[in-house]
Amino acid sequence: MKKTHIILIALISVAIGAIFSTYGDASTYENFKKAAENPDKEYHIVGVLNKNKPREYNPQVDANLFTFYMIDEAGEEKKVVYRAPEPADFERSEKIVIIGNINGEVFEADKILLKCPSKYNEGEIPKG
Amino acid sequence: MNEVQYIGERLIFGNLGHLAVVVSFGTAIIASISYLFAANNPEEKSWQQIATAAFYTHTVSVLTIILALFLIIKLHLFEYHYAWQHSSKDLPAEYMISCFWEGQEGSFLLWIFWHVVIGNILLRTSKNWKNEVMTTVMLCQVVLTSMLIGIKILGYKVGSSPFELLRNAVEGPIFKQPDYLSKITDGNGLNPLLQNYWMVIHPPTLFFGFATTIIPFAYVIAALWKRDYTNWIKPTLPWALISVMVLGTGIIMGGFWAYESLSFGGYWAWDPVENASLIPWLILIAGVHVLLIYKTTGNSLIPAMILLVLSFLLVLYATFLTRSGILGNASVHSFTDLGMSGQLLLFIGVFVIISVVLMAMRWREIPSSAKDEQVYTREFWMFIGALILSISAFQIFATTSLPVLNKILGTNLAPPGDVIAHYNKWQMPMAILIAILTGIAQVLKYKKNGKEGYIPLLTHSAIAIVLSVGAMFFFNIENWFYVGLMFASLYGIIANISMMKPVFTGKIKMVGASVAHIGFGLLLIGVLVSSANKEVISINQSGKMLNPEFDSQANMEHVYLEKGKPLLMSNYEIEYRADSTEWVNNYYQVHYKKINPENNAVEYEFDLYPNAQINPKMGLVANPDTKHYISHDVFTYVSSIPKEKSTKFVHEQIHMIKPGDTIITNNGYIILTNINSNVNDALTNTKNLSLLIGAELKVVTLKGTFDAMPMYGIQDNKEVNFESIVDEARLRIRFLGVDTKNKTIKIETAEQDTSGDFIIMKAIVFPWINLVWGGTIIMVIGFFLAIIRRIKEFRKTVV
Repeated sequence: MKKTHIILIALISVAIGAIFSTYGDASTYENFKKAAENPDKEYHIVGVLNKNKPREYNPQVDANLFTFYMIDEAGEEKKVVYRAPEPADFERSEKIVIIGNINGEVFEADKILLKCPSKYNEGEIPKG
Repeated sequence: MNEVQYIGERLIFGNLGHLAVVVSFGTAIIASISYLFAANNPEEKSWQQIATAAFYTHTVSVLTIILALFLIIKLHLFEYHYAWQHSSKDLPAEYMISCFWEGQEGSFLLWIFWHVVIGNILLRTSKNWKNEVMTTVMLCQVVLTSMLIGIKILGYKVGSSPFELLRNAVEGPIFKQPDYLSKITDGNGLNPLLQNYWMVIHPPTLFFGFATTIIPFAYVIAALWKRDYTNWIKPTLPWALISVMVLGTGIIMGGFWAYESLSFGGYWAWDPVENASLIPWLILIAGVHVLLIYKTTGNSLIPAMILLVLSFLLVLYATFLTRSGILGNASVHSFTDLGMSGQLLLFIGVFVIISVVLMAMRWREIPSSAKDEQVYTREFWMFIGALILSISAFQIFATTSLPVLNKILGTNLAPPGDVIAHYNKWQMPMAILIAILTGIAQVLKYKKNGKEGYIPLLTHSAIAIVLSVGAMFFFNIENWFYVGLMFASLYGIIANISMMKPVFTGKIKMVGASVAHIGFGLLLIGVLVSSANKEVISINQSGKMLNPEFDSQANMEHVYLEKGKPLLMSNYEIEYRADSTEWVNNYYQVHYKKINPENNAVEYEFDLYPNAQINPKMGLVANPDTKHYISHDVFTYVSSIPKEKSTKFVHEQIHMIKPGDTIITNNGYIILTNINSNVNDALTNTKNLSLLIGAELKVVTLKGTFDAMPMYGIQDNKEVNFESIVDEARLRIRFLGVDTKNKTIKIETAEQDTSGDFIIMKAIVFPWINLVWGGTIIMVIGFFLAIIRRIKEFRKTVV
């Protein structure tokens, strides 16, 4: 057996390891219910902002606390705590992806991704 | 139904552009086919002539498309969707260019343009390989120009035209009116994040890098096609190196742009869009190394070919990832889906099939070496290095492709929550190995080394160990993995410095590889130190005293900063001093004082002007500002501002003064210079004043001296006053009455309420980040030297 073959086999096993690692580390898109079952694990939850409930950000009191209510794709609503300022244009987002875990009654989001498919591309045409 | 006759549309530009797209598509087909036949029938000169004519027509038509689109943007022809969507009238000229490639169609056009440039160069330099190579390049042009056609063929929309009219692209009642155009006064404007100098030069560089990957690919295809496995190396090598250099520069420029203008605080976020361009680059570097092995030893031809082909296919894959909308929730980049996924997949499919079929047909006859590799050789370790680079690329590929996997398998996997930890876990050990191999392989000779070849290994390692210990203390590194990476990088740098001897004999172009490796080592050290020791400094220290539970620092990375009230954070005292507006940008002056923690002395001070653009469509768009020092950068951005500014005044105070008297204010003083009883009542905008006198004041502050004249008068037997507001001094001054007995006047001062005037900001110190940029520049210089050397080698050859 050539040395290169041995190395090749070693590297292929590393590559397979990389694939398994990707699976192992990968988070999943879930809903609040699933996240509540496993409060220690980090999940991606997709949902929409509940515009009827208050979004709170009072920088003069705490510049690192923003809370809002999100409805996940299964229709469940939960209060979300985000320890950073309110992201720009938050209320106009069509879809929100929050990444974090359940902490008691609230969801602690470490990251928030806003999806505005129309983000900058759909401007308004004058009505007439 | 009657057709509406629209007024004022300048259709000639779009018609010209569209015609040029169709011509460029047609000529690309003709050229590709003709080059193919010319290659297979070398005696038949007519194929050659048709191909050349078609290629030049193609060149002219591509330039026409670009000109037409540029004029549409430049002349603000908002009847065209592209101009309306991506530009606006108030854009500065340099950003007009960015509008050009903000949209997908424009960036395809950029790619097409570079292929035309490359085609023109290949036509003159590729000698005997011209017909074969040009066949592939023009086939790629066929696919690329088809992306711009925008015509429905058999119910499937092929491509998306940049010359689509607004009234066809968007629906609205306005388009029933013949004069609709007069009502569309401005376009949507350019995404504020792209309003940056780096966004003018980063996309063309990156796309030039993408475009150049086709050249090694085309040569591999040509070599298989012609069954000539030796002569393709000399022309391929300089091109592959150019591709490595340009693509690498393009990627790091994107990183620098992100660092300078995005608020995530860094130059690399392992975002799928970034990864998509990094993967082909790593594979290409691996390919170049294996190609060098083949060139000197005659071994490893198959892996060299596979890697070079893969790098091009991975560029196509990157295009698919970023433009098909498949990344969806996984990426923050907002590339819109133009509904071309099918066409993009076809694009990849065509080239995958060509490469696989051709490779399979020739597999048995591709020369390969049967004897075992020698371990004491440069090529052995170079090959290992190339394999590790490939594995590194593969790991990034696996994680980046999760959304694709979801599509195929119907799973719902999301990227790892802590992306950085996930990638570090894999990429750091590989970076350590690669850095060490850049040293080992460089020190050894090709083919045969005596045992003494290993002596430098020991001396270099010894020096690297000593330096690593020093670096551990100097850069304050504790994690053993980091120490390992530090050692590996230093070892690689030292070993490559030892190979710099040819410089002293004037053969500077011989050291390209060593220079590139040294740059790579410095880059690794820069990445290591700037991320391992990066410190978020915007943590309010005073909060700690107020609230004992104030412990979770990680969640307190933004500070509240009121105008005029200094705050201590980390070793910096910061103060938000002023704000100013320029075009659509609001700049906030933040004054920094570095405090020496030992004696509280101020070490240095500077101002930063982070910008918050209040964009009507995107809300607050933060644009950071960074102070660059040699050893560290202080990065600051505004993350939030009050919804509305306060206009309240507080702390009213009454002063009885006579001319010459002084009033002390919170930020200076006021002198009453004169009482003017001869004031023109036009100043007050009121009539029927029986008395009007003004107090001529000089308001002195640190910022300068300002004149003010509050006025007092009698109107219909009632006292009235006309206040004066001095914005610069944040004062309101009123003249409330006259005391004739004491010959004094009554002045009221009030300060602007600044409690509602604040910013929320985040600041990060990046130590030694200049090593990242410096290392990259050195690496690029190394590539450049290597290119010069390989071009000279190529020029010497006849075929």
